[in-house]
Amino acid sequence: MSELSTLARPYAEAVFKRALEGNSAAEWSDMLAFLSVVIQDQEMSVIIANPKVSQQQLTQLLLDICQDQLKEEGVNLVKLLVQNDRIILTPQISALYESYKAEHEGYVDVDVMSAYALSKEEQKKFASKLEKKLNKKVHITTSIDKSLIGGFLAKAGDTVIDGSIKGQLQQLAKKL
Amino acid sequence: MQLNPSEISDLIKKKIENFDVNVEAHTEGTVVSVTDGIVRVHGLSEAMQGEMLEFPGNSYGMALNLERDSVGVVMLGAYQHITEGDTVKCTGKILEVPVGEALLGRVVDGLGNAIDGKGAIETTETSPVEKIAPGVIARQSVDQPVQLGLKSIDSMIPVGRGQRELIIGDRQTGKTAIAIDAIINQKGTGVKCIYVAIGQKRSSIANVVRKLEEHDALAHTIIVVASASESAALQFIAPYTGCSMGEFFRDKGEDALIIYDDLTKQAWAYRQMSLLLRRPPGREAYPGDVFYIHSRLLERASRINAEEVEKLTGGKVKGKTGSLTALPIIETQGGDVSAFVPTNVISITDGQIFLESDLFNSGIRPAVNAGLSVSRVGGAAQTKIIKKLGGGIRLDLAQYRELAAFAQFASDLDESTRKQIERGQRVTELMKQDQYSPMSVAEMGVSLHAANAGFLDDLEVSKVRDFEAALQSYMKSEEADLMQKINDTGDYSDEIKKGIQSAIEAFIKTSSW
Repeated sequence: MSELSTLARPYAEAVFKRALEGNSAAEWSDMLAFLSVVIQDQEMSVIIANPKVSQQQLTQLLLDICQDQLKEEGVNLVKLLVQNDRIILTPQISALYESYKAEHEGYVDVDVMSAYALSKEEQKKFASKLEKKLNKKVHITTSIDKSLIGGFLAKAGDTVIDGSIKGQLQQLAKKL
Repeated sequence: MQLNPSEISDLIKKKIENFDVNVEAHTEGTVVSVTDGIVRVHGLSEAMQGEMLEFPGNSYGMALNLERDSVGVVMLGAYQHITEGDTVKCTGKILEVPVGEALLGRVVDGLGNAIDGKGAIETTETSPVEKIAPGVIARQSVDQPVQLGLKSIDSMIPVGRGQRELIIGDRQTGKTAIAIDAIINQKGTGVKCIYVAIGQKRSSIANVVRKLEEHDALAHTIIVVASASESAALQFIAPYTGCSMGEFFRDKGEDALIIYDDLTKQAWAYRQMSLLLRRPPGREAYPGDVFYIHSRLLERASRINAEEVEKLTGGKVKGKTGSLTALPIIETQGGDVSAFVPTNVISITDGQIFLESDLFNSGIRPAVNAGLSVSRVGGAAQTKIIKKLGGGIRLDLAQYRELAAFAQFASDLDESTRKQIERGQRVTELMKQDQYSPMSVAEMGVSLHAANAGFLDDLEVSKVRDFEAALQSYMKSEEADLMQKINDTGDYSDEIKKGIQSAIEAFIKTSSW
């Protein structure tokens, strides 16, 4: 995993720089997301791993699948990745690209898990609090996890803010 | 199951009452791979070098390699339950161990947990295992002795409080025996001892504990154990743990003695960790910083001045200096002191006690090679009587070594050479000492005086030890006042000199050996 992202980094950086120059950050984002889905498909991964499928065949197959989804530069990226035998890195490239984009635009993606569904208003309040704490704009995605019992658990990248009853119980258990 | 004292419901209630709930923010990562006690963790972008990381199942690891996308972690203890995908939390702290008086008389593991079955250790204080050694301003030069209780060492290779004196030799040359005698001899002197056993058999550790108990020396001793069956990380950490426990006493103006038995095995453990972490191997496959692991450890053994003690205790202890004396042990292979780790530690320490298997096998025990052993700072710390008398002994032995090769032509030699050889043989015989029978300053003084004044010259070599034993028991019963006086003052005034001289003359008249 770590080795893969090391390999993916130069590609992601190059794509991101190109996207900034061409003012097409959102476009690239869509292209990479679509490509990753395709690459992660089970049948597709069998084909990629198959040594009998030549690079040309693979490129053609991918381009046929994607068709209009890829712009000209996207097509070039696919060709380059296939040629370098790095097409399986696409999900990592996509993830790294998103993190560069987020950093550039100054926001963080925050996953908020709570025991019960949050109302629109609560979400808004939550977002403004987190923005203050993290000093960045936040994009919130919410999910429900009953095992938390109560409270919330927010994840922004590596940082975890644990305000759940489950977490507190664990703290108490450690203290005892 | 037995109820442990902290399980009384009132106590639990109080703990729950005082428990303050805080929303904790921490950094998390995921386990990518687990190999031979080394865990790679993805994420943890804010992990610090040496930080403790919390794994599921209440186990901990230490972050050693911080890389771009991952962190290389060494597990402390069992790692079999860690699986790929587990979450790992930062704790924001480096490893801390309990310190304090309550540890005396106990046997603990490398993390400070009791392993002697005597229940939990009641301490409130903890201390990080890795600390920076006291600075230049805080230090004071070594000028008080640590008596190891061995004639050959205290007279020729004296150790001072705050000194680092290496004990080096092959396997089975009595390295540990010297260390144990040193601990036994600290009984009643107020010097606290820490014995750190690294990579040893549990059976030999049990032996050491039993011997210390037998000689009533466990009460002033902490034993830190990282046995051969424990993980490399714990064997690596144990000396630092012991050092922190010793620093506790040093920093409150007391004296402590720490024995690392042995640092070769710690270097092996560190080599294992480094190779598994894929750090580049250097000479003898040790990593580049193998010198630093020993130099930073031994630099922490020091003597600090009264002002520093006052500062560290917040003004509670005034006018007292503190010291931590270190006796690291290094095991050589086939007497080769020019191997990597031995040369490193020799250059770090303030001298070495060199033990030889040839001497050991020929019955000279402790098997100290007086020619190769040195103490670079201990001379300033020696008691006056031992210093005056020890000089003569050293000279006698040095001259003897030069002439020893001619010993078999004794009949053809001139008078003075023959005398020197005979004196040397008797002094060598006198330097022998049984295990677990350390001597006081006065006892040593009497024996050394007997050699210097030539009382041994008329004896057969084989009678020297009998003579000494009888002399000691005579002095103990007939001249107790004189012995007490020497022990108290440590002086070698004319009066004391005459006292010893006449006592030995009186003893010889009894010819009771």
